[in-house]
Amino acid sequence: MTGTVFDVQRFSVHDGPGIRTVVFLKGCPLDCFWCHNPESKCRVPNIGYAPGLCLNCGACLTACKMNCHRMENDRHVYERAGCRRCGACAEACPAAALETIGRETNVESLIAEAVRDRPFYEATGGGLTLSGGEPLAQPAFAAALLRAAKQASLSACLETSGYADGSVLREVATLADKVLFDIKESDSERHRAGTGVPLEPIVANLSRLAAAGARLELRCPIVPGWNDRDGHWRGLAALARRVRGIEGIRLMPYHPMGVSKAERIGLDSANMPREFPEPDTVAQWAHAVQALTDIPVGVG
Amino acid sequence: MNKGGGFVSESVRRLSEETRRLAELYMSGEVGRSVRPAEFGLSADFVDSGPTPDRLYAEAVRRIAACAPLRILPGEKLAGAATVSEAMRHEVPLTPYRSISHTTLGFEMALRFGYRGVRRRIETRLADNGLDAGERDFLEAMRLCLEAARHWHARHVAELERRMAAARDGERRQLSAVLVALRPVPEHPPRTFREAVQALWLLWNFQRLCGNWSGIGRMDKMLGPFLERDVAAGRTTLDEARELLAHFWIKGCEWITAEGRGSGDAQYYQNIVLAGVDEQGLPVLNAVTDLVLDVVEELRIADFPIAVRLSSRTPERLLRRMADLQRLGGGIVAAYNDDRIVPVLAQFGYPLPEARNYANDGCWELLVPGKTSFGYQPFDALLLQETLGLTRPEPDERRRKIECDEWAPHARPDGARRDYPDFEALYADFHHRLERQIERLTDASAFSDTPCPLLSLLVEDCIGRARSYLQGGPVYTVRSPHAGGLPDVANSLLVVRRLVYEEKTLPLSDLVAIVRSDWAGQEALRRRILTRFEFYGNDRAEADAMLARVFNDYTDLVGARRERHGVLRPAGVSTFGREGSVFLPHRTATASGQKRGAILAPNLSPTPGADRRGPSAAIRSHCSLDYSRLPGGTALDLKIHPSAVAGEAGRTALVGLLRAFVRLGGMFMQTDVVDNDVLRDAQAHPDRYPNLSVRVSGWSARFATLSREWQDMIIARTEQGRYGERP
Repeated sequence: MTGTVFDVQRFSVHDGPGIRTVVFLKGCPLDCFWCHNPESKCRVPNIGYAPGLCLNCGACLTACKMNCHRMENDRHVYERAGCRRCGACAEACPAAALETIGRETNVESLIAEAVRDRPFYEATGGGLTLSGGEPLAQPAFAAALLRAAKQASLSACLETSGYADGSVLREVATLADKVLFDIKESDSERHRAGTGVPLEPIVANLSRLAAAGARLELRCPIVPGWNDRDGHWRGLAALARRVRGIEGIRLMPYHPMGVSKAERIGLDSANMPREFPEPDTVAQWAHAVQALTDIPVGVG
Repeated sequence: MNKGGGFVSESVRRLSEETRRLAELYMSGEVGRSVRPAEFGLSADFVDSGPTPDRLYAEAVRRIAACAPLRILPGEKLAGAATVSEAMRHEVPLTPYRSISHTTLGFEMALRFGYRGVRRRIETRLADNGLDAGERDFLEAMRLCLEAARHWHARHVAELERRMAAARDGERRQLSAVLVALRPVPEHPPRTFREAVQALWLLWNFQRLCGNWSGIGRMDKMLGPFLERDVAAGRTTLDEARELLAHFWIKGCEWITAEGRGSGDAQYYQNIVLAGVDEQGLPVLNAVTDLVLDVVEELRIADFPIAVRLSSRTPERLLRRMADLQRLGGGIVAAYNDDRIVPVLAQFGYPLPEARNYANDGCWELLVPGKTSFGYQPFDALLLQETLGLTRPEPDERRRKIECDEWAPHARPDGARRDYPDFEALYADFHHRLERQIERLTDASAFSDTPCPLLSLLVEDCIGRARSYLQGGPVYTVRSPHAGGLPDVANSLLVVRRLVYEEKTLPLSDLVAIVRSDWAGQEALRRRILTRFEFYGNDRAEADAMLARVFNDYTDLVGARRERHGVLRPAGVSTFGREGSVFLPHRTATASGQKRGAILAPNLSPTPGADRRGPSAAIRSHCSLDYSRLPGGTALDLKIHPSAVAGEAGRTALVGLLRAFVRLGGMFMQTDVVDNDVLRDAQAHPDRYPNLSVRVSGWSARFATLSREWQDMIIARTEQGRYGERP
């Protein structure tokens, strides 16, 4: 069983309990304007280009069959139009200025990597986390990973946008020990405008998972100027009250790391916020939400 | 991390305002800058009389005790101070002799028997008619040093009495309390916690006054029983005990000048070891353990680096406490793994009770405190690749003389590079160099005629053998070979093997020429190596196996020479900051893609920038080596960004790193939670960060007091687990 993964990150400490290895699956049905992992959106590999690393050596010109690379005044220029993302240029690039983001890999090798940190999981209650992208964009692969994790006696978490076919989501999510369920906005109109998809099926899926007995944590990206408002705090609290079995609410303050990543894969970053929220502001958000609910509210 | 003008913590306030003010005074450097060279000397008549070196030394100690200025500041709870600046320069004041560091003296024994007990043993030994003149002379010198220590004590008693007579009520009571605790010790064994703290301070500090920089050793093991008895009897409270320990820490900053110098202010090897087990294997974890951590948390004093002995049985509570202190930054609290170290020392040949009682030499090398003459022999294994053409072609004699002679670069025997038909032939050449180096080190004489009767007082069996610390008097004399540069040796071999012998894309002669030219015009190849190879520190089998091969060969070679001429030779691996100082000028580019001048791997840690998979992978790589082969010890240096260990989840993660390190069989890990952006800002604006401490190696230092090259080295170490950096 193979799938497309764009990163494996060990020693993740804010993606479920304890020290975890996070496997990032490629592909996402949402199109959030602030996305902090923009390289995850597309199901197939992207070609990333970081001009700052480029040696202008010209190795990519020879490698590329589509003539996407050229030299202008001894400086390398990468023209994405016509690029088939074959990765030949990245293979040739000595400096990794060009790189293929996303690789086809199999369940066995990912589990083999994840079990290497077992002593760290056992010391902290950690394990494997599937994230993305949206893991449900590759439902069979996600399910196979979760099953293999269970077989290897690894605790497994699933992070999901909740935007997926309801029965498939339920089938996959119940293989995980815990579900980190994203709620990006609690107002229907604003949700559609900010993420490109409706809120209702997401909320329905959340209820469905709760009914199926899933352990749930709400993960709520807070983007200054978009959803940092009282109405959203009330919406989150109401949702958490309505859906039983939510163990925690985690506010994820926006960070602008996604900007440079978007630029590296040729996406327009003009609409992405550029500022970190101040720590005091973040503390106020957490305080405001906690005042509305008994469910523990965390940050980060 | 503590910014701004103040030195001590604002958020933690358990100590009195008076104590906190005293801490600010010492840490500002005001006290340290007032320490002056001795304004007294030996009499010309004495020197002209042609005394033996031991007698000259003893006379110097006598004069220091009689003439050195006393310093008793208002509000201080402990008496005694090291007030002549020659001692800060690692000299025995008034003499031409170097003093001694890198040891931990027998303070536990001295607390049990007092100077009185030591004196009796000397007198008993002197009654032996079989002593030769030299032995008798040495024992007499020891006795004179003991008399000098008594005189130094008497001067403090007299001065306190004088001040008391002139003092008013509050001050008088305070001076009286100091005096009552001081009067009986360390001549007699202490009876109370306060006497024990005063005794330990004076035992340690009088050595320091005379130039000897000892580690403190197992403070909670030594002092804990006194405190428990006093608390049970209602003689003192934990709050009072904490204040007293705080004064120990504060007065230990008496040499801080807050003026930049080399490897920093905090480098007087005054290490403290906490927790672990006692000689019977019972856990040492008592109120003093906790109070020491309280003091460090509040005062942020890095001058007594602390190493906590952990094991699989360490309670969660202590680990969480350590994690909290580590998150403050400064790397003040490091971790030993008893589960690994005690068996290694026992296997090396120490009786089990002594293995269980291990401490360090004031840095992190392992020793049995109070019984060991310790030294280590650092060398740069990377230079052994020279004959492969992979480092500087010829030794630079001039530079060698200037920088140091503690390692010896070696001319090639035949003056020419050989060609190696396969990788094994090339490796055999390296192995041959390594063997010659080990032989040279283990054949070197360990003994010296430099007199040291004062220090020898507190080291078991110097009296019995009537021999000094440097002449085989102690139960153990240890000279530990310490290899530096092993990770970069392995990384270079990995590249040579793959490119030259497996892929055959580059002849060895070409690679050698490229490395010698410092990669000139070969940036593409260099970057390809840096981006395509997964070097040591990434938990990858190929790189870790190469290092294991080098490591196993090194430890085999040293292990075959365990003892020579009565000197123990436990193998160790370290750089202790040399990767950024004395090793650096001799190193050239490496085959692993590093350019000349790059700061390479510290100790047995990954090369900066080479470990890309975070701290758990770095720990796994490090712990893939078999440390049962390494009785001299080694260190893993972790640098973690504060955001990676923020919040409750971050604390759990730090505890997890400690637990996993113990379980995976590492020896010693120093974790520094630090933000490189802050360090760069501190480099530009030292005035804004007067008390920003960082872990160097076995000690912590105030960043602002480090020279530029040391600051750069600290910044260069990889920062692991930075939040939000996904590719």
